[in-house]
Amino acid sequence: MNTIRKSLVIVCFAVAVALGAWQGARVRHLRESERFYRWILAQSTQTRLFAGDTDLSEQQKLDFELYYEIVDAADTAIPDLPVGEDDYDADGKPMRKMTIAARDEQYSALVFDLASGDVLAKQREEFLQYSRERKISSVASEFDPAAAYSEGVNVSLANIFFGFRKVAANFIWLQVDKYWHQGMEQRMIPLMTMCTWLDPTFVDAFQLGAWHLAYNMTAKLPDTPEPLKVWNEKYKARIGEKELYYYIAIDFLKDGIRKNPRNHKLYFDLGYAIYNLKMKDYDNAVKYLTEAVRYPHEVWVPRMLNISLEEAGRYEQALAGWETYLKRNPGNLTAPTFIVRNKGRIKEKQANEAAERARNATDPQAAAAAKAQAETLRDEAIKIYESMNQAGEDPFAVGRIMKIKADRLFEEGLYLEAAAVLQNARWKSALLWDEATDMMIQAKIKGNIPLDLSEKKYVLRKEEAEKYKQAPKPQQQPAPAQ
Amino acid sequence: MSEVASFVRGTWTIAVYTWREGMRKKILMAFLILSVLVIVGSNFMTSFLTQVTPGSEVDMEVKQMKDLCVTAISIFGVLITIFISASVVPNEVENKVIYTVLSKPVRRFQYLLGKFAGVQLIVILNLILMAALFFVALYLKERIMPTLLLWSTLLTYFEFLIVSAFTFALSCAATSAVLPTIAGLFIYITGNLTEYLKDVFVRAGQTDLWIDRMIGYISYGLYQILPNLQNFSLKNQILYLASNDPPRDILLPNLIAYGLLYAVAGYLMAYWIFRRKEM
Repeated sequence: MNTIRKSLVIVCFAVAVALGAWQGARVRHLRESERFYRWILAQSTQTRLFAGDTDLSEQQKLDFELYYEIVDAADTAIPDLPVGEDDYDADGKPMRKMTIAARDEQYSALVFDLASGDVLAKQREEFLQYSRERKISSVASEFDPAAAYSEGVNVSLANIFFGFRKVAANFIWLQVDKYWHQGMEQRMIPLMTMCTWLDPTFVDAFQLGAWHLAYNMTAKLPDTPEPLKVWNEKYKARIGEKELYYYIAIDFLKDGIRKNPRNHKLYFDLGYAIYNLKMKDYDNAVKYLTEAVRYPHEVWVPRMLNISLEEAGRYEQALAGWETYLKRNPGNLTAPTFIVRNKGRIKEKQANEAAERARNATDPQAAAAAKAQAETLRDEAIKIYESMNQAGEDPFAVGRIMKIKADRLFEEGLYLEAAAVLQNARWKSALLWDEATDMMIQAKIKGNIPLDLSEKKYVLRKEEAEKYKQAPKPQQQPAPAQ
Repeated sequence: MSEVASFVRGTWTIAVYTWREGMRKKILMAFLILSVLVIVGSNFMTSFLTQVTPGSEVDMEVKQMKDLCVTAISIFGVLITIFISASVVPNEVENKVIYTVLSKPVRRFQYLLGKFAGVQLIVILNLILMAALFFVALYLKERIMPTLLLWSTLLTYFEFLIVSAFTFALSCAATSAVLPTIAGLFIYITGNLTEYLKDVFVRAGQTDLWIDRMIGYISYGLYQILPNLQNFSLKNQILYLASNDPPRDILLPNLIAYGLLYAVAGYLMAYWIFRRKEM
């Protein structure tokens, strides 16, 4: 009896261990699938946003290849999904089903089912194999941040910390903060990198790190004059010391995006803080801000997108964006002003197009009709801007009205008067400075009015910059096509 | 039916007695007070230490607070778990109370189950206290109910349950609490390093020696059988996840089942050792 009991206990123990091991294998499969799932999400973002990047490592090329293999394999398993306005690639083709599903949070369960199921079993194995061999750029899994640096046959350093890496990263971040307050910016860079290495999901470290790089490191540096800039093979651009920090900040944020593909903060900082404010690259700003608003975001993110759309000259989209924004936030005070302002910009744009048609028309009747249309549109634009002045003088509206007047004077050949109006306009509205300065110099040149010293320097600088922009660039290698 | 009721009643009485006895231990109270101090103090600590840009201060402070509190709960919680699991049975043997209890109509299985349940009551109570303080501190900071914290605490408990079960099993073979305590710490450390065995397996076979290959197979076998506490690292990440995250939703019940199965194995091991004990 005693032996039976003893055996029963041993059998029960063995069964419990076997079941535990079986469950362990199941958990392991889920963790591996989870890593694969996070990688798919990250790689779909990379494909959509950075497929045009020319500076691709061998790892990144393999990333793309594996991802396209996944896209092909998943095509039949994913039902037809609605294709949104921005679900088209650079060539105007609709994106593949997996890419559309992976970008939208509502299809997360579907993507995870595929990542953990039989459809992508072969690709999952390939992914795990490549990860072990460090052949692909891995991403940290949110459940398993160690995955970013513990693959392959190396002993996981992360495991030695027993999951307390986050606290270690926090303390390193405090040191970064201390160095900043002590003005030792150069010491911050390696620590910031280590911090994000220890905790790849530390989004604030990516954000603040990029801010330090793009803003604080460059605060004391002057803009590099065009002749002093050198061609940078990595970034495929002519850059100086100051501009190099912008690109490093971009790389830092892109690394953060790879590891946290669904966090709006990183897209926002990349789009607005770097591309818009620092690099004045409004098209890229719009690209990343559009991505930011796809994920749960703060209320100001769409506002900055709409502002960037306006700055990129896409007034119709900006207007539609502001109208949607106002519908969602009825009490907002800034949206009505921007709606009116964009309506004015649309009229101005149409007026300029009509004026251009009038200038180029060979038929005098058509030219006269186009000119009349331009005048009507300008009057409408002035009316719109004047409505902005009702509650008190709006510098932007005043500046735009003066700019329209200058346009008319310019067309009539009254260059001195046009230059005088523009001189006044650029002081009225800071937003108009560059545009008014360019036009004022143009008017002075056309009217044979002598330029002052600063204007001459401005013209020389622009000519020089243009000369370097036109210089031939080394051949660029695009990413493999999908 | 009355036999089952009597079994449950007897087990519950032992569990409550173990719980009362355990809560009187000064070292446990010291750990608890320390953890409470860290959790309450984390709020002040992050405010003093952080001087980052305006606007990001709150995010950074909340992150530091979350990480610090989860770590404090992990460290102090596991210490409480190990100390209590390692001491309940050896102390009874040392005080000779066990002889009085076992001379009553109480089966060894029932006695051990009561003791194990008592240990779990202590662990759960301590965990609830620490998590509740963390919950309040986080709520005061963010003004949002940190519901994901409850899942994190639950996972922490199931991690402790595995450590507790195997430490308890080892304590049944010991006559004093010192060795099981050291063994418990060892279980926790090695449980977190189980992934290392997989690395050994991957590396093995490179020299083509049979011993090398054998080491690889043994490592792989152990990797399959031994509990891997790194699986519970989800508890650290869960506080940062989006509300809609399919892997989390699927992993949670699986991890709970994983913890329960190894706890049952640990308890059966304890019973097997205890029933052979000469008393």
